[in-house]
Amino acid sequence: MMRAHSPAEKALLALRYLALSVLAVIFLIPFYLILRNSLMTDAQINAAQWQWFPLHPHWSNFRQLFADNTAFVWTGLRNSALIAAVTLVLQMLISSMAGYALARIPARGSRTVFQVILLTLMIPGAVTFVPTFALMAYIGGVNTLWGILAPGLFSAFSIFLFRQFYLNFPTEIEEAGMLDGLGYGGIYWRLVLPNSRSVMMSLGVLAFVGTWNTFLWPLVVGQNPSSWTIQIVLSTFLTAQTVNLHELFAAALVAVLPLVVVFLVMQKYIVEGITFSGGKE
Amino acid sequence: MNAPATATAQRKTQAMHKNLQAGICFWSFLMPALAGLVLFMAIPMVWGFLLSLSHAQNTIHPGHFIGARNYTDLLTDPEFLNSLWTILVFTLFIVPATFAFSLWLALAVHSIPKGKAFFRTVFFIPTAVSYAAASLIARMSFFSGTASGFANHLVGLFGMQPVQWIGTASPPWYWLVLVSVRLWLQVGFYMIIFLAALQEIPRSLYEAAALDGATGGWTVLRFITLPQLRNASVSILLLNLIAAFQAFDEFYNILGGSGSSGGNIGLARPPLVYIYNVALSSQDFGRGAAGGFIITALIVLFTLVQGRLLGFGSKEGR
Amino acid sequence: MATPMLTTPVTRRQMLKTFVFAGGALLSGCARSDYIDGKLVLTQWYHQYGEKGTFQAVHRYAREYTRVNPHIIVKVVWIPGDYGTKLATALLTPDGPDVFESTLTQAMVEAGQTAPLNDLFTSQDLADFNPRDIALNSVNGKIYGVKMIDDLGLLYYRKSMLQSAGMQPPATLDELMTLAAKLTTPQRKGLFLGNDGGITAMLNVLPWSAGADFLVNSQIVFNTPRTVLAYQKLQQLNQGGSLLMGAASDWWDPSAFTSGQAAMQWCGMWAYPAIARAVGSDLGAVIWPPLDAQGVPVTFLGGWTAMVNANRPHVEEAKKFLQWQWIQNRAIQTDWCVGYGFHVPPRLSLARTTPKLQQPVPAYAVNMLGKYGKATPPLWNAAMGSDLTNAVTNIVKLGQPAAQQVAAAADMCNRELQRELE
Repeated sequence: MMRAHSPAEKALLALRYLALSVLAVIFLIPFYLILRNSLMTDAQINAAQWQWFPLHPHWSNFRQLFADNTAFVWTGLRNSALIAAVTLVLQMLISSMAGYALARIPARGSRTVFQVILLTLMIPGAVTFVPTFALMAYIGGVNTLWGILAPGLFSAFSIFLFRQFYLNFPTEIEEAGMLDGLGYGGIYWRLVLPNSRSVMMSLGVLAFVGTWNTFLWPLVVGQNPSSWTIQIVLSTFLTAQTVNLHELFAAALVAVLPLVVVFLVMQKYIVEGITFSGGKE
Repeated sequence: MNAPATATAQRKTQAMHKNLQAGICFWSFLMPALAGLVLFMAIPMVWGFLLSLSHAQNTIHPGHFIGARNYTDLLTDPEFLNSLWTILVFTLFIVPATFAFSLWLALAVHSIPKGKAFFRTVFFIPTAVSYAAASLIARMSFFSGTASGFANHLVGLFGMQPVQWIGTASPPWYWLVLVSVRLWLQVGFYMIIFLAALQEIPRSLYEAAALDGATGGWTVLRFITLPQLRNASVSILLLNLIAAFQAFDEFYNILGGSGSSGGNIGLARPPLVYIYNVALSSQDFGRGAAGGFIITALIVLFTLVQGRLLGFGSKEGR
Repeated sequence: MATPMLTTPVTRRQMLKTFVFAGGALLSGCARSDYIDGKLVLTQWYHQYGEKGTFQAVHRYAREYTRVNPHIIVKVVWIPGDYGTKLATALLTPDGPDVFESTLTQAMVEAGQTAPLNDLFTSQDLADFNPRDIALNSVNGKIYGVKMIDDLGLLYYRKSMLQSAGMQPPATLDELMTLAAKLTTPQRKGLFLGNDGGITAMLNVLPWSAGADFLVNSQIVFNTPRTVLAYQKLQQLNQGGSLLMGAASDWWDPSAFTSGQAAMQWCGMWAYPAIARAVGSDLGAVIWPPLDAQGVPVTFLGGWTAMVNANRPHVEEAKKFLQWQWIQNRAIQTDWCVGYGFHVPPRLSLARTTPKLQQPVPAYAVNMLGKYGKATPPLWNAAMGSDLTNAVTNIVKLGQPAAQQVAAAADMCNRELQRELE
């Protein structure tokens, strides 16, 4: 948007491009390292002589990974996808309803409720972790997929962001709905929800990422390999008494890649969504 | 009764009815969220609080009450106090650093005529990576202490010996590792929030400034751009502060924890790692819960202080 | 501030529960049932063993038990990642495993988590098990665990490297330090004790090698000049520049030694097959040398112990199963110890006769374990270990005065001990 006129400005712009490019390369190095290591043998990874890329990439590392019948890579991917998808849909619905009520329905106690929700944001998971697990055991959620995903459905963070979004929601739409005789339920379901697409997309992706990447809760709640998520599968390579570096990095690639793809595809919506939610109050 | 009085009464009833209806709607919209937060937050918190007053070794049943002894034991444990100090220093560094870095990235990406989407994508993509995976790459490949590590390869190009990035306190390179992992993972996200806010600044503001003769980059930044980013900045600082105080994963995975022996974690042990060890390794759930409440109190305190300083919440409750 | 949330009517909570349960049913949540087709299901937990074939082996053992006891099914749960955390949390709930492996602590016994097993041993069994294993799993005269495998540490080296350096296998710590320095080259470090410079691996071993100990007869006894000296030596070693740190894998994994990143490594005997394969007849191993003339050679006695969860409904059946697998069934015990990884069977008769343990290095190791193997008692808990580790980190990494740190750690450990004994 700013156009470079003078030579000084041109130089400044060139410098900016240079800085951004250097940073971009640095930001991409970790991805490169995962890919490089996942295509090498352990001896090549540990070699003192640096190799930028293996001459003969060991694609068989991936075949070996998926064929490893103690690693459950497919199960992990499937469980993670299922848990993340269900969490995404339900968390968006629950949080947007709550966020809408807090922003738009005048009621006594609204402010207090909002402050309490804000307060829960500040409570580290460590405080509630063990009691929540015990509670889950008593209501029969241990070792089930729903037990793994239930606590993630309720996010103070996304309620907070939905409220911020709905504070800026155009009043005209609501007023039109009132004139048509719609109650709050009707307005929300027919008018507000369809107009929340962008914010849902962005918060939804964040919820998906968060769920996909959680480790400790699914580790403790899920016990059989049938309920392992991909993060737990990844950890099996870390804690094994004999570390297979190539398999570890191949598993890391498999765990990271789906989300990178989701991000690349969804990026436009994420940015649009945050445009509405992040800025104004 | 005269007519106007009836009308007033009617209106009053109507208003009351409307209030009641709004109230019912409000609570039923909130019900699922509140029920979940009660079940997975409030009940565990009350439970945890009772535990924090109990001697609960290898049990999560409160009952053997010992008053505030868990709290006093913690506050007289030099390692716990050390961990509070560690997280304080970390927070005081990482919050401004993240803020400045992501703001600079947003301004730079926003200002270039071509390649915006490319740079935005590159800086944002790390958000998709988990702390566990990022720590693994940092510890085992990027910053490994042998000649086979990436950083040591670069160091070697300058003819220097491999550097111990993680295992030594002098010099404390491990801070570089911890900080770069966190920055790599989170600046992209905050950059996106800033970028979004930048796009919402009306162009007319800049045009008016140009008419007034304010053309220098710094002047425009100082008097137009930054004030317009105030709300985004406040949100970012709040989220960032909370996240920094709750740091766990990269410390645990790089300095100790699964797949590495635990002696390095003593170099920089944040409170959540301390609590994790007390509760889940030593299984002293009472002391673990007490530690959790001390951290929560600190986070609330710091958020309030920051809120006071930055005026967060001044527009609340409208 | 939480009041508004607490007064939320109970009906809503109930509704949520219904909602969650309905969702759960949809997601094919499989609630735990004690019986399948009229057969009792016992759950058995293992941490993830790294060696190939272990996963299949434990399932095979379970099937074998069903073959001889058709009314019982053993469901094996194989747990990767942080096993300790997961086991600890599971034991707190009624849903924990029936049989599990762990290391016994007195706190587990006091919390009533483990069932006494004395009646599972005949007097011949008792006489045949490594007496130290029995002692380590006893609290107040009752036995709470059956050792499945014994592990020990070994200092691995290449004979040819020692020869070309003109050195003998180290007989004292000072000799080892000299040797490590001599074997260090620009491409290779002399010794690998773990990525934390040996703080974890040497925490107990070094003071033991000085003749010190930690917790004896319910007394914290490590606050002595010998312990201080041991940790001072570890600090010297860390500053000497001959220790490998920052390797991709840690001390329990042999990669740093087999790949040549370190000339010598302290590792477990479990890694012997992999190391022997990589190094061949050039391989040599000794246990940890004495600190000095007043010290003793030493190695740790580690391993895993099978226990029965006392809070499950079918304790007797679980005990019978544990007896079958880890006391009576010598074939399984041998297979488990040397079929995949490499461990010493806790039964002395098996340790003496297993053919794979007759090769020079393992035979030496079995002999040394019997003579010099040491472990901390069940009363020594993770909190004490963590207090001591902190002190050693301060000494080794931050250069703080050793005597003062050891004394402070002893104070903290005494506090933990008082809590424990209350």
